[in-house]
This record gives sequence, C-alpha cells and structure tokens, in this order.
Amino acid sequence: MAEEKLLVLKNIRDPGYAGDLAAYRKTGGYTALKKVLQAMKPEEVVEAVKASGLRGRGGAGFSCGMKWGFMPPPGDKPHYLVCNADESEPGTFKDHLLMVGDPHMFVEGMIIGCFAMHSRHSYIYIRGESMYAIRRVQAAIDELYRNHLLGKNILGSGYDLDLTVHPGAGAYICGEETAMLDSLEGKRGLPRFKPPFPAQSGFDACPTTVNNVETLANVPFIINEGTEAFAALGTPNNTGTQAVCISGHLERPGVYEVEMGHNLESLIYEYAGGIRGGKLLKAVVPGGASADVLRADEIDIPYDFDSLTNAGTMRGSAAVMVFDEDTDMVEVAERTIRFFNHESCGQCTPCREGTFWIKNMIRQFLDDAGDEALMQRVDRAAGNIIGTTICAFGDAVGGPMQAFVRKFPEEFRKHFAS
Amino acid sequence: MAKVGFTAAVLKEVNTLFGRYPQKVHALLPLLHIVQRENDGWLPPGWETYVAELCEVTVNHVRGVITFYNMYRDHPPGKYHIMVCTCVPCGLCGGVEILEHLEKRLAIHPGNTTADGLFSLEEAQCLAACDQAPLMMVNEDMQFRITPEEIDRWIGEVRAKKA
Ligand SMILES: Cc1cc2nc3c(=O)[nH]c(=O)nc-3n(C[C@H](O)[C@H](O)[C@H](O)COP(=O)(O)O)c2cc1C
Ligand code: SF4
Ligand code: FES
Repeated sequence: MAEEKLLVLKNIRDPGYAGDLAAYRKTGGYTALKKVLQAMKPEEVVEAVKASGLRGRGGAGFSCGMKWGFMPPPGDKPHYLVCNADESEPGTFKDHLLMVGDPHMFVEGMIIGCFAMHSRHSYIYIRGESMYAIRRVQAAIDELYRNHLLGKNILGSGYDLDLTVHPGAGAYICGEETAMLDSLEGKRGLPRFKPPFPAQSGFDACPTTVNNVETLANVPFIINEGTEAFAALGTPNNTGTQAVCISGHLERPGVYEVEMGHNLESLIYEYAGGIRGGKLLKAVVPGGASADVLRADEIDIPYDFDSLTNAGTMRGSAAVMVFDEDTDMVEVAERTIRFFNHESCGQCTPCREGTFWIKNMIRQFLDDAGDEALMQRVDRAAGNIIGTTICAFGDAVGGPMQAFVRKFPEEFRKHFAS
Repeated sequence: MAKVGFTAAVLKEVNTLFGRYPQKVHALLPLLHIVQRENDGWLPPGWETYVAELCEVTVNHVRGVITFYNMYRDHPPGKYHIMVCTCVPCGLCGGVEILEHLEKRLAIHPGNTTADGLFSLEEAQCLAACDQAPLMMVNEDMQFRITPEEIDRWIGEVRAKKA
C-alpha cells in the first residue's frame, strides 16, 4: 500500500497503541501543553497557529489562527471553545477514528486552544449516536482530572480549566456551528443569523470559537515541532496533512492520512485500492454530500481546499465518495436530496420547501417519468436555494443537485418517460 | 402509569450535570438522555413537565426540543433497537437491501416495533462509519459489513433465547 504521511493518525497506526494517558504520554503527549503553560503567552500561541497556516478541517477551511485571533481580550464574560465532534456529513468518519483511537491528542490541542483564548470552561459536542466515542472521550477527560491536567492549577501554572462532554441527540444541522451553540444551550438546533459572529456572541451570548476535532489534533504538533515543520507539509496555502475518508465502491475504503495537495486519483487507486471488482469509475463526490460531484475524467487534481474550489467543488469534510460504472447517478442524487430534506431545520422557506420539491422531482425520474423540462426544473429549484438562506446548508444542497443534472444528464435521460 | 420523577441517586447526578453549565436549561439534551436511560429508551407521558420544572423552562420549550431531535422517542423501542444506514454512500453499497431484508424478516416498517417487543427498526442517516457499509446499529453497537444471512442467524438466536 502507498505510504501515509502520519501526523494526526501517527499513534493510531501503531497496532499496540492503547490510547490512554500513559500510552499518549509515552509518545510525547502533553509536552506541548507543558511548554505552552510554562513558556508561552496566549497571544504567542495564537501567533504560532496563525503562522503554521493551519486551516479548519471541519468544512470551510478557514484559518484556525485567525479565528482564534478574533476572540476578544479577557473581559467580564467567560470565553468558550466548543469542539465540533458532531461528524454527520455523509461520507465522513475521520473524527470518530481520532476520538476513539487517540482521544488525548485532540484534547491536548483543545486545552492549548482554551489557554490561548482565555477559556475556563469549554465543551466537546459529540453526536449522540456515538456512545462509544462519548465514553472514550469522557474516560480521557476523567484521566486528566485525576492527573491534574484538568481542573484547578494545571501543571502548577495557575491556569484552571474544565472540559465537559456534551452529547447531541441526532440532528445533522447541529454540526453547523451556530446551530451547535443553540443545541448546547438546550434549544432546537437552529442556525443563527451572522453577524454577530460567535467570537462576539456565541454560547450563552459569550465570546466563543468552534473548532473541528482534527483541527485541534494538529495543535500539539505545531507547538512541539514548530510552525515551519508544519508549514513544510502540504502546499503554501494548504499546509499540513489531512485525514481523508474514502468510501463507496472500493477495494479498501477507509481513512488515509496524506499531505494537503496529494493527488485525488492516487488516493482512490493507490490508497483505497481502486474500484471494487476491477470495475470502472463513474463519479466521485469529493467533500461530503455538500460537495459538487466530479466525473471520472475530472479527478486528476490535487486534493486540498484551494484546488478543489478551483475545480468547481470543495474539499469540505474530506469525505471522498466513489461510485463505479454500474451506479445509477439518479439514485445517488435521490439519496443525497432525501438526506438534505430530512435534515433541513425548516427555518428558511427555500431550503425547507426546495428540498421537498426536488426530492419529489428526483423520485419522478426513478419512476421513469422524467423529461427534459423536469431536469430544467430540478436545476432551477436548486438554484433558488443557493444564496437565499440563513446558513450554508442551502448552498450545500443547491450546488450538488445542480451538479448531478448538469454533469450526468445522460443518467437522467435514461429515466425519461417513453 | 409508572411514577414520574428521578430517584435520589439520579437527582444527584442531574445536579452535577447542572453544575457544568451556566444555566440549567443548557443541560436539557443530556438530561433527556438520562430520562430515556431510566425509562427503557423512551420519554413516557408526564416526564416533559417534570423535566421542564427541573430546568425552569416551559413545557413547550421541552416539547419543541424533543420533537426536533431524532433520538428522543415518544414510544418504547424494542429490546433491540435496529438502525440501518441508507444514506450516501451506504445506501448505494447495500444499505437499502439490508433495510428491505429486515422489513420483510421482522414484518415491520421503519418506526415500528415487533408485536413481541423484541425488535424495533429505524432508517438512519449517515452514522459516520461509511467505510464499513452496509451496516446497522443495534442499541449502542455497530455491526459492520452485515449480510442478510448474518441478520437471519442473529434474529433466530434472539428469538430462540426468548422462547
Ligand atoms: C450544514 C453544516 C454542517 C456542518 N457539520 C459539521 C460537522 O459535522 N463537523 C464539523 O467539524 N464541522 C461541520 N460544519 C462546519 C462548522 O460550521 C464549522 O465551520 C467548523 O466546525 C469549524 O471548525 P474548523 O474551523 O476547525 O473547521 C458544518 C457546516 C454546515 C453548514
Ligand atoms: S438553510 Fe436550511 S438548514 Fe440552514 S437555517 Fe435555513 S432552513 Fe435551516
Ligand atoms: S453513509 Fe452510512 S455510515 Fe455514512
């Protein structure tokens, strides 16, 4: 198998690694935290993360250091860091691996983040279905309290921090950061209008930053090895490595860690072993259900934020879904819109109604009752959701649905009424 | 009807939970999970009001939350609650067929429970294990790369144990 570039999966790939505090410490765990608490000012940590070029691994790829820098200086209100471990984007399963396989790595990154942003109490929001991950992370937190790495006066530094694991209850939209904050406040998970941004008014109307699990897992490396070592990985504007989730019709689906900018075709053929049963490739959805589909002849591209954006799609949550020649792309479109229709929070009319109508139209194709006009209507209805909604969910439905009909019209034509 | 209200031990746990949030209502999601844990996996009548009082919010607030999230149930699940993922990509890698097989085998549709109370079925969206498709979750455990034969064997075993 092609070799991985291991950073966040470094310990997980060691077959004997237990993932508890002792095991993590043996790999150099919590030396970054020690260094930060003993020798760095919060602003210096923010600067280091900024200089590393680390971009958020949850979806949008926003600069992590810049986001941390938006947090105001300490004032009368508490500051919060919320770790987004909701992982519900179809095709995505890397955060689960990180939480279960090496819970201390992202937690160390989170504690460092909390220190950098002056937080005294923060939350890890894990999707409610993942009881195993919830228990595993809770066990890691309990170990930290017992060993004075959480609670009062951590490592004798005078810094106090509490971390609380918060379970979700089954709602994809709570992965959207402002919906997550409402959910954390014991409400329905409805995305909020921005501004105000969470750094001004987030959890409990206090300054808040939301970060993905993998984003935080990179932080100990940046502190230990230095920003240059991190920035040397990947490409200039897309630094570091990434844990890519590859699923679908493959010989070896799974999570593979490679540098940013690694070729997408190589990920599919060299890492995931190519298409199952020696079949031909038909299509790739490269960044979760929210990303526009690529045709088989469009995948010889670097896999990173900017390259995927330039290719008219997005890296999103690093969920590469691969479909073979026997796949009916109308079925892929139907599964996708059914998901979005089920998960729309219902606040915005274009999203609530649009997902419903598009679902019905796609089903007409599956009943072999489609025609050219219906294809146009799917395209138009999808276009009407884009840019007209409170949160990015609207664009995440509209773009992919347009891409299915535009890139695979022949697949829809097979379902025309005869 | 069973009594509504936590035991002293659970109330202690709930008070610790409240202590981890700036306001009691923030703990509503984990609190509702505790109610379900204490009540065979669902929210029997009367608990909405009880929980609302504990959190110092209106019953309507609690009801709004319960109906928003998938995991809160207004009817008891089976002893074995089965969730089958039929999302993308699982749905295109055998998930739909697995769900159909279970529907036939248990003679129930998603959302229902078998008459003997043993099995309930739910169609799930992505469960973050897509590389293991087709998969199902039984209570808290994931069953990876499941086949119809394995399902039949397992259902047979559960029913034999019961008989
Ligand atoms: C509909 C929707 C769902 C999302 N789901 C997730 C998710 O499950 N996990 C995640 O980390 N980010 C998710 N995001 C992105 C978050 O809103 C947020 O940008 C991210 O957690 C920020 O962390 P990062 O900067 O470290 O990537 C979602 C965004 C949208 C619009
Ligand atoms: S775009 Fe959809 S999911 Fe987002 S707020 Fe509007 S209705 Fe809710
Ligand atoms: S699509 Fe089934 S687990 Fe992700």
